[in-house]
Amino acid sequence: MTMGTHRAEEPAGPVADLALRPSFGWPWLVGFAASLILVFVLVYALGAILVTGLGSWGTNSPFVWGFDLVNYTWWIGIANAASLFAAVLVMRRHGLRTAVNRFAEAVALFAVICAGLFPVFHLGRPTLFYWVFPYPSTFDVWPQFRSPLIWDLWAIVTHVFVTSLLWYIGLIPDLATLRDRAKGLFAKRIFGLFALGWRGEAAHWEMHQTAYRLVAALLLPLLILMQSIVALEFAVMLVPDWHQVRLPLNFVVTGLASGIAMVMVVAALLRGTLGLRAYITDENADLLARLVIAAGIASGLVYLNELMTALLAEPYTRSAMAGRIGGEYAGLFWGAVALTVALPQLLWLGVLRRSMFALVAVGIGVSVGVWLDRFSIVIGGLYVDYLPAMWRLYQPTFSEWAMLAGTVGLFVMGLLLFVRFLPVVSLFETRHAEREEPAL
Amino acid sequence: MSERTIFLADLKRAVGDARGGDLWARLEDWAGHGEAGTRFRAAFPDLAALGGLDRRSILKLLGASLAAGTLAACDSPAAPLLSRSRGAADPPAGLPRFFATSLARDGLGIGLLARNNDGWATKIEGNPDHPASLGASDAVAQAEIFGLYDPDRSRTPLMEGQAVAWPDVDIMLAEMREELGARGGEGLRILTPPVSSPLLLAAFAELERLYPGMRRHVLHAHGRGTPEGSFRAFGRALSPVHNLGAARTVLSVWGDPLAEGPAHLRERHDFMEARRRGIEAGDPPRLYALEATPSLTGTRADRRIVCRPAEIEPFLRIVAGALNVPGLAAAGESSDDAAMIAGALAEAGPDGLVMVGPNASAGLHALGHAINETLGARAVRHIDPPAPDAGTLAELMDEMEAGTVRQLLVLGANPAYDAPGFETLLETVPSVVHLGTHVDETASRVAWHVPERHGLEAWGDMRAFDGTASIAQPVMRPLAEARTATGLLAPLMGVEAEERDFVRAYWRREWGLADAAFEERWRAALDRGTIEDSAFAPVGASLAEDWDAGPAETSAGGLAIVFTAGLQGSTANNPWLQEAPHPLTRTVWGNQALIAEQTAERLGLGDGDIVALDNGGRSLEAPVKILRGQAPDTLALARGYGRRAAGRFGDHVGFDANRLRRGDEGWTAGIALEPTGRNVRLVATQPHTDMADRDIVRSVTPDDLAAGPSSVTGPSLYPEREDAAHAWGMAIDLDACIGCNACLVACQAENNVPAVGPVEVARGREMHWLRIDLYHEDDATHFQPVPCMHCETAPCEPVCPVHATVHSSEGLNDMVYARCIGTRACANNCPYKVRRFNWHAYSTGDFATPREALNPHVAVRSRGVMEKCTFCVQRIAAARIRAGIEERGIEDGEIVTACQQACASRAITFGDLNDPDSAVSRAKASPRDYALLGELNTRPRATYLARVARADGGPGEEPEGR
Repeated sequence: MTMGTHRAEEPAGPVADLALRPSFGWPWLVGFAASLILVFVLVYALGAILVTGLGSWGTNSPFVWGFDLVNYTWWIGIANAASLFAAVLVMRRHGLRTAVNRFAEAVALFAVICAGLFPVFHLGRPTLFYWVFPYPSTFDVWPQFRSPLIWDLWAIVTHVFVTSLLWYIGLIPDLATLRDRAKGLFAKRIFGLFALGWRGEAAHWEMHQTAYRLVAALLLPLLILMQSIVALEFAVMLVPDWHQVRLPLNFVVTGLASGIAMVMVVAALLRGTLGLRAYITDENADLLARLVIAAGIASGLVYLNELMTALLAEPYTRSAMAGRIGGEYAGLFWGAVALTVALPQLLWLGVLRRSMFALVAVGIGVSVGVWLDRFSIVIGGLYVDYLPAMWRLYQPTFSEWAMLAGTVGLFVMGLLLFVRFLPVVSLFETRHAEREEPAL
Repeated sequence: MSERTIFLADLKRAVGDARGGDLWARLEDWAGHGEAGTRFRAAFPDLAALGGLDRRSILKLLGASLAAGTLAACDSPAAPLLSRSRGAADPPAGLPRFFATSLARDGLGIGLLARNNDGWATKIEGNPDHPASLGASDAVAQAEIFGLYDPDRSRTPLMEGQAVAWPDVDIMLAEMREELGARGGEGLRILTPPVSSPLLLAAFAELERLYPGMRRHVLHAHGRGTPEGSFRAFGRALSPVHNLGAARTVLSVWGDPLAEGPAHLRERHDFMEARRRGIEAGDPPRLYALEATPSLTGTRADRRIVCRPAEIEPFLRIVAGALNVPGLAAAGESSDDAAMIAGALAEAGPDGLVMVGPNASAGLHALGHAINETLGARAVRHIDPPAPDAGTLAELMDEMEAGTVRQLLVLGANPAYDAPGFETLLETVPSVVHLGTHVDETASRVAWHVPERHGLEAWGDMRAFDGTASIAQPVMRPLAEARTATGLLAPLMGVEAEERDFVRAYWRREWGLADAAFEERWRAALDRGTIEDSAFAPVGASLAEDWDAGPAETSAGGLAIVFTAGLQGSTANNPWLQEAPHPLTRTVWGNQALIAEQTAERLGLGDGDIVALDNGGRSLEAPVKILRGQAPDTLALARGYGRRAAGRFGDHVGFDANRLRRGDEGWTAGIALEPTGRNVRLVATQPHTDMADRDIVRSVTPDDLAAGPSSVTGPSLYPEREDAAHAWGMAIDLDACIGCNACLVACQAENNVPAVGPVEVARGREMHWLRIDLYHEDDATHFQPVPCMHCETAPCEPVCPVHATVHSSEGLNDMVYARCIGTRACANNCPYKVRRFNWHAYSTGDFATPREALNPHVAVRSRGVMEKCTFCVQRIAAARIRAGIEERGIEDGEIVTACQQACASRAITFGDLNDPDSAVSRAKASPRDYALLGELNTRPRATYLARVARADGGPGEEPEGR
């Protein structure tokens, strides 16, 4: 793909041009077509659930939750960590934020959309999902506020809301830039509508910065809370391997690892394929890689903690853990350890940190590792519980794989549309950073 | 004059000749006095009590009137159901009626009560007045409801496979009658299963009189060991009747007296009662088992001796020798086990008892009789066989081979499947008529097939194991036209009558009573379900001197196979039975070649490996399944599977073990086994049977019992519940449970639990509300029925986001299906894993219960909702309503859950825990009472009574192999 030359006097040029170019070349189209096919697969899988029910899944008793919760927790982990990452950068006014903030936010948004599909469609009667809301009805029944599923509902609704807000607030000045640069009247109107009348006045900038940082500040505790609440869906349950205080920490830390890894993958791809090297600098990529290493080490500590607490735990928990790391689903646990803890350590090598291929491979590896970890918790955790008579096996079916693949397609399609129609790197931040450079 | 008359008279006077608009006024105005309202209330208190009718009530009443009006359009059925229901003859609409009837098992009757809701039979219960039931039933009896509505039941007569009209059947029979009359019945053969029906036996006798050349043959499901054994021992055909309540030491040989056969409900009841008394007294009766493949009796035994089939007779000979049984031809070298058994029997003396199973050889039966006679066993008496013997199957087959059989009537049997070699011989008979409930393997090979009435639709009679006669009556109007055996034979005898009239005529003659007295006795017989004082008197029998024909010649080389009963007849087409897990292998929807672990190891076989078996040219392929307690070098094959024409549910499920048999032998040796290298995944509900050193099934020694109750209730963050008038609870006695599946199928029938089919079970989605867990601990085998525990601090309740599972004031953990959105969080939080989810629309699926068989008092669950055991909440509600109408409290024992009602062991007790004197409160006061996973502080309302181990070792102590 050929890119326009970078003009110093108009720093936002190439980034904004991306969104405004009439054509995007065949790789984008191929990627879009592939993701579209996967989205059709998703539509089919969801339709099949509505028509024939959950029977096409491999779920059973005792594995009443399978891929639905595995994928949900995985996506929500990615979403959470990516948002958390963006919010921290905004809060700290970190240099990296210029480069990766926008798509970190995008990653978060699309991941949370993918995540949100599962809690609705995994219901036995998905059309009645709204019964979990406290709305006035003739039933006169209020939701059960002691249920972690209700906590989760509020957490995910809040999360979608705040993440969208952070993403949108960050986007306002850039939408105005796009509005100003757009050639067609229709594009001008659309961008203008969402730019909320931004004219770039100092007062606008001041309010914008306050709002941006305020929402970011709101995200910080919320995201830790969100991951914890997802973890509580398991920790509250009596299942011995789930019923542990360490679980929220586990979810936060490993979720962070997969989120940062996913941001790293997207950053590396944007750098490599869209020619945004000047905006996502080598230093930025390097820093992301180091963060992935750190997240890997943190995950390692979490796993160590898991094993150590299991040793000290009462017999049910101990044998549950032994079943998880040594039983039928042991491969998932050790795969998770290998991919989330060991794999990122490769990035200690500077060569790899500078290779797009390596970053993408490691990033995807970590994400897969965290997915295995979620599988290991949701399925492996039920492998050994209380009554041996009900110890059975779970095997995902085509239908479940289709749903996973479909959400991946949805995620990729969202990102592709995002790079096509919106500025992938914050224009105003870039301009701001470039103006700062001489002073440094 | 009453208030009403005065009021109406006033009103009439005031109205006078007024017309139309003049009448538009208040009643007070017309009645001419202001107190009309008072008068009105006095005159019509019930109308006045309705008070100010609001719009809703008026609309309700309007709706109800409309509905009631349309009811008048419902026509009354043409043919009245002449059966007589128990208690109220005509209960108010909506309440069920119960009909006492009997169903045959191996030809002998088991008395049952069938519940009829609005004209449809929906449930089977045991008949408390019947000696073979005493109120209990078993899985097979429970599943008869499905069998009744079996969609594959034969509905039209067939000639050469083509549907013909009923008159054609009568023409055919009339022609046959002419032909037979001309020949004196020469060449007429009738093949039946064992028949105890006095009416049908009389019909056979009449036929024999009319057609002297006719002969009847009996197809025994279990071979002929029992009749021939008694012939050897006593010189005449006698049936032993066992009273296990009177025995102190019981040895079961090659049988399953507690779980199979026409008397097993009674025998189990008696045994468990004796055991309960014995535990209290500190000396329970001893049960020993001698067998090649584990039976439920064997796994429950205090000591199980595992023998290869060829070793069983020598073993019993040693025992007999040690007991100095007279006339014993050969004893043999003694062994420790044999000496121990002989010692125990000798010690018990007249309180000892040997029971030999129906599949055992005549020699073993004779040995058993001889030992019992020597001991002077009081627990056995002999009666004339209620289902008398006739010609044998082998004789019939010889005649068919010789071509001398001209007409063959197969009445309610399926020899083309059950009797190896019979199918090809059918071609030698010019005219074969098959009477059967299904177009089965025999029906599809013969010229004429006539639909047979299902036992629950038929008039008839039969005798129980002890000779007690009972009348069988239809429990609902027949679904389709069909005949009983009597009905089919009547044209051959030149008589014409309704089937009911045959039964009445027979018993009128039998009783020799005039009309009024007969009607009274007839009604009493229908009410009770038994005919009083009809049990056979014991017959004095003495051991023949030459009872022992000497040791059986055994060709013990190579692998042996023992054949077990499996699913008999049309039960193969019953999804409830196919899906009830085999008690010991936990497999469903199929049979396997059961094999001992060390034999499998030696042959390099594992579960599901398919082997080719060959018995001198007869061969088949079967998957193997390793089973603890199986004798080495011995395979056990269940019959009744691998059906070719059982129906949509039973066809091609498992393999047909009969293909390895020559005749009706119970075992065979010299089998060649060849692994095929192929493997199938066996469908089982429980892969793990190891207790993992957990306190799941508790066993206590008699010493522990002195310590007192052990259950502890921990603290809870939630406020203590204040229960309403009642606190429902259940106690399950693990010491009495033998894992027979009666409760499981009873629950399925009562609660509209659908079968889901083999594919879904393989995915772990069976729907049984009550499951029976199997555990192996050391050498003991434990069964643990697991219903919903109805925890007081139920973990499922707080995790449901929509309040679909809530606690009732009486302590039930209720499931609100309409409210459930299917998050399944409740199932995750249930440590007992008793919740079942409708992954598919099982209630309308391929294996669903037919609509007519559904219990109208239990909701049918739709796709996507959770369900589970309710403690039979509909029965609790019914009792509460009944008590309310009668203005009294609910009595202890008034509410009987379906599982409790079916259990012959009386292992399940249900009732009100608020009443300290209730049976369940007393049971829970036992030192044996404990809560499963009690340490989780779920405070389950269903608790268990621990098994009682023998003081000298664990229960069912059993050396692995020999």
